Amino acid sequence: MGRELVMTREGAQSFFGRLIEEGPVMGPRERISQPGFVMFDWLDSAGQLRLKYTTTTIPPKKAFFPPRQPLFEFESSQPPTITAVQEATAFTLVGVHPCDLAALEMLDDAYAQEPAEACWPAARARARVIGVDCLPDEYCFCFGFGTCYGREGADLFLTPIGRGYLVEVLTEAGGGMLRLSDVEDATDADREQAAAFRRAKSERMTASIDASPAEFADILEEDDFGELWREVASRCYSCGSCNTTCPTCFCFDIKDEFDLGLTGGRRIRSWDSCQLQEFALVAGGHNFRRIRWQRVRHRWHRKFLYLYRDFGRPYCTGCGRCSRACTADINIVDVSNEIIGRARGRA
Amino acid sequence: MSREEPIPRFGHKPQVAFFDFACCEGCQLSVLQLEERLLEILGHVDVVTWREAMTEQSTEYDIAFCEGSVTTEEDVERIKRIREQADVLVTLGSCASGGCHNELKNQWSMDEVRRVVYGDAADTISTIPSRPVTAVVDADYRVFGCPVSLPEFMTVVNAMLTGQSHQPPNQPVCVECKLNDYVCVYEMGKVCLGPVTRCGCNAICTAYGDPCQGCRGLMDAANIPAMLKALKREQAHAIMCAVVQRHELSDDEIAAKLRIYNNWPEFDLKEAQPDDD
Repeated sequence: MGRELVMTREGAQSFFGRLIEEGPVMGPRERISQPGFVMFDWLDSAGQLRLKYTTTTIPPKKAFFPPRQPLFEFESSQPPTITAVQEATAFTLVGVHPCDLAALEMLDDAYAQEPAEACWPAARARARVIGVDCLPDEYCFCFGFGTCYGREGADLFLTPIGRGYLVEVLTEAGGGMLRLSDVEDATDADREQAAAFRRAKSERMTASIDASPAEFADILEEDDFGELWREVASRCYSCGSCNTTCPTCFCFDIKDEFDLGLTGGRRIRSWDSCQLQEFALVAGGHNFRRIRWQRVRHRWHRKFLYLYRDFGRPYCTGCGRCSRACTADINIVDVSNEIIGRARGRA
Repeated sequence: MSREEPIPRFGHKPQVAFFDFACCEGCQLSVLQLEERLLEILGHVDVVTWREAMTEQSTEYDIAFCEGSVTTEEDVERIKRIREQADVLVTLGSCASGGCHNELKNQWSMDEVRRVVYGDAADTISTIPSRPVTAVVDADYRVFGCPVSLPEFMTVVNAMLTGQSHQPPNQPVCVECKLNDYVCVYEMGKVCLGPVTRCGCNAICTAYGDPCQGCRGLMDAANIPAMLKALKREQAHAIMCAVVQRHELSDDEIAAKLRIYNNWPEFDLKEAQPDDD
């Protein structure tokens, strides 16, 4: 762990104010039309920043990969032209919880697979990241996933303490940002308060998946849970919200949008979901996961088996967004534990 | 943007007519509200008939936009004539494209409907069970929504002008709602039909915190049994528990919500099974 400093509440306010003056800052802010609900969005002032929040509907990956992203514009002039849509502005992403920091790193790995994706790392290189610690609600289950205390990819990390935040300086860029701030050296009392916050975080966590990632992957590999998949599928709308709210899902679809008269347009990519019926529809009309339970099973296999084998960790951070978003009340922890319970019952 | 050469599909600047059947004419009004974008469309077509927007009329046209439901024998003949004249027929809004409020009357006998609506004059009025335009003639393009979804209208006009087909989207409203980063209205304690409703509206209702009423109709393979389970669970996680306890919907009430836009053919909760299990 890097250097530890303290930023007072007032100090933090002026720090974020200066950061916003310096360049674009995205962070958790209250929704204007829906007070009480927080989303990641561009900040106009430090007063909009809500560093104390439980979660957001969609994860901060949107800072690097917007849900609908234009890739290039084209004109069917003579000769035809293609103009790449390239953002070049550096920005700062603030208020990222440890689970979401872990997710960003997972996406770094996923998009680096050959053939490597170019837009994601380019966007990541433009940004500095400031993390902040949090307290769980009943949907969070990060404790067993090693994502509870992660600092991956953060330049600075803030832990709430009585007089403000304990600031961990994790990179040179993080140290550089602190020139905008008045910070003090942390005292033992500050460190103790931060440790107490972290203890409270794990103590308040009520949900957990009852097997290690390695055991869970083995259980899924043995898969003979046909009946359970069908039961879950009977409740599933295939609405895709578990994917579109997931911080580690990285699938996307690409479409061309034409202007009127077909003289030009743009190529757009947008977040996709393996739960949608048409996700696995291919040319010729064949759909290799047409049936709902196949798609439900695929999600568990993908998160906890295939990607675990590929990358050495499950592609789930325990953020609980999918369970919160599921209006059919399919809870990832409950279903996972049901699978684990049945597997152990048979053994 | 203007286009100099003729549009490939027609070989000339096509003539467009708008027609209304039984409806509130809100779809025509919505199209008028396109304003600047409408001017852009008018660069590519000549409008020759549009009762809500102009005085002139013509019986010659290439493209017919038809809104509303077919509710009389005269309507049946009229839509057939329009279909015969038009090279391209576009149904505008849910009344014409799949079913809307008008089909609610089909739950009663036509005699009873006439008596309730027209009283003593009932015998002078004829009526048939209400049906969308698409139940009588084939449509080349369908635009859903109540009123018509303007993003989809633009997409369809574009496809039409360039001679391409257009498949209505077959994903639930939840997809567009999430991609727009809106708060799920279930989290606000409301019951929303988004999970079973065909998207294409860009989640315009949930954008303002209102629940989806399902105006674009059910998507293919909509899991209605799942909706019954979700809205009637006795034990649920916090968010859904709050919704279920607050509303306590019976099967009939859930069916009534779904029937508003899905009563052609007549909506039967017991027969509403998803086609992919």
